[in-house]
Amino acid sequence: MGRIVISHWMEQAARLFALAGGVVLIGLVVLTILSVVGRTINAYGLGPIMGDFELVEHGTAFVVFCALPLCQIRFGHVAVDVLARHFSYIISWLLAMVSQLGLLIMAVLISRQLYLGMMDKLNWGELSFILQLPVWWGYAAAFPASLLWVITAALTCWQTALSLPQRKPLP
Amino acid sequence: MTTLEIGLWAMPVMLALILVRIPIMLAMFAVGVVGQFLILGSWTPMLAQMKNITYSTFSNYSLSVVPMFLLMGQFASRGGMSKSLFQAANHFIGHRRGGLALASIAACGGFGAICGSSLATAATMGQVALPELRQYGYSDRLSTAVLAAGGTLGVLIPPSVVLVIYAILTEQNIAKLFIAAFIPGFLAVLGYMLTVWLMVRFGGETEQRQHRASRAEKWRALQDIWPVLGIFLLVIGGIYMGWFTPTEGAAVGAGATGLVAWLNGGLTWRGIEEAILETAISTAMIFAILLGAALFNSFLAYSRVPFEAAQFVAELGVEPYLVLAIILLAYLVLGCFMDSLSMIILTIPVFFPVFQTLDFGLSPEDAALWFGILVLIVVEVGLITPPVGMNLFVINKLAKDVPLSESFKGVIPFVASDLIRVLILASFPAITLFAVHWLF
Repeated sequence: MGRIVISHWMEQAARLFALAGGVVLIGLVVLTILSVVGRTINAYGLGPIMGDFELVEHGTAFVVFCALPLCQIRFGHVAVDVLARHFSYIISWLLAMVSQLGLLIMAVLISRQLYLGMMDKLNWGELSFILQLPVWWGYAAAFPASLLWVITAALTCWQTALSLPQRKPLP
Repeated sequence: MTTLEIGLWAMPVMLALILVRIPIMLAMFAVGVVGQFLILGSWTPMLAQMKNITYSTFSNYSLSVVPMFLLMGQFASRGGMSKSLFQAANHFIGHRRGGLALASIAACGGFGAICGSSLATAATMGQVALPELRQYGYSDRLSTAVLAAGGTLGVLIPPSVVLVIYAILTEQNIAKLFIAAFIPGFLAVLGYMLTVWLMVRFGGETEQRQHRASRAEKWRALQDIWPVLGIFLLVIGGIYMGWFTPTEGAAVGAGATGLVAWLNGGLTWRGIEEAILETAISTAMIFAILLGAALFNSFLAYSRVPFEAAQFVAELGVEPYLVLAIILLAYLVLGCFMDSLSMIILTIPVFFPVFQTLDFGLSPEDAALWFGILVLIVVEVGLITPPVGMNLFVINKLAKDVPLSESFKGVIPFVASDLIRVLILASFPAITLFAVHWLF
């Protein structure tokens, strides 16, 4: 029971992050269109949005980080199962465990280094090129999503481990 | 072990990992990280690199085109445009023998002009065309195969996510690549139509013919598809004319497609939510592989494998066409079990430097464009060949009662048509490059 509730809430959280990323993506689409329109009718006193490229860059990073937990929880990362289809259940389970543990380690590493990278940017006071905004803001915006990635990776690990006793089909 | 030996071992190790179902991005990441440790003898440089590499990969301006094109494809799938395209194609060629199958190919081609992904094209057109094909008595084999093959037009006809990634990896001009893909994409449509015609003619199809559409019906159908044509011209034309960057083009395309879909009533709140979630999953998948590749490639650079491989091939002095044939064959083999984007991201960093040492009597840029189009076609073949033909799986989900083996038999003629096209385009680079030279 408790397990079902946890995975349900994790799924909801991952969806919520992905949706937030999607809203930002649509925002970037609108911003880019406005900027293109502004540039085209420059003569009438309008202009492109300042720092539009920069906003798109940092926005896209946010969108991608926000999408990672959902991809993780749905076992969405591409893998090749031509050979693996012929393995016995135990071997398949072991390989799935290795994959999920590997993903967890990767998520932890990336999340931790992202945090350290953020602290570096913060301490150096690095500013973005055009808008002169602190670069660490972008890292900070991405960090919660990367933490959720770690949590969802732990969950998929746990789910994979639990499928062994009952020989549940592996994702 | 020398640095080079470590690099040479990395490839088979990674392939082995991928073959035992380790996710591709993880295999690249792990081999890249461990390989760098073996070469440098310390974790410190890599950990330092990792502080920024994730964020800088995800915030690369050129790559921001990817989620936007994915979103555009999602909007297009929900906008009812697939239906009007199929309708229009049907009104013009539906009354001929095999008319509905021909119309499916034409509609897939049209949909490919606003959608940059094969799976989305197969899934969307499949939903519209498959029931009709079966209702009119086309065999299961032909109906599923025609849509699986037609789906590859999503990528063969620009805009195309695969070409975008190729352009970024090889530092080529995306606009020129899109233009270069145009004639080969058109040839693909013709080739598939010819294949359908041959299959209907000699395959013992007993389909029902349809009535000939009146001029008024044709005119109405054309009016329904003008938004598709308009969006295609705006996006590709705008990028070509230099009105906007590829990312801006994708944004304009996504905005326009979303607007049309909304006006058609195909974009409810629920639809937008689904479009966002689907876009998110594909985005995460692609960027995760790109991140794995970023680490793997920096390891490859340390190991000097791409440089040495290129050097080695250059010193062999074999016929350039032989090397090209081997590379293309390698893609066909890899394509049997890997998806097109992973394949490109995985192999281009090694294959492209090798290719660049070959002399085909073309300028480096022309050669790179031509190579990109050839690679694009062979990796797309992988989507319809067993054992992992993703497009066939997508279509199979829509027609669960058709055994997969039937569909695999059905696509053989289409694969043959693809191979013939590759052969023609490889023999005559001018076919691909003609449009680029003419327009630029």
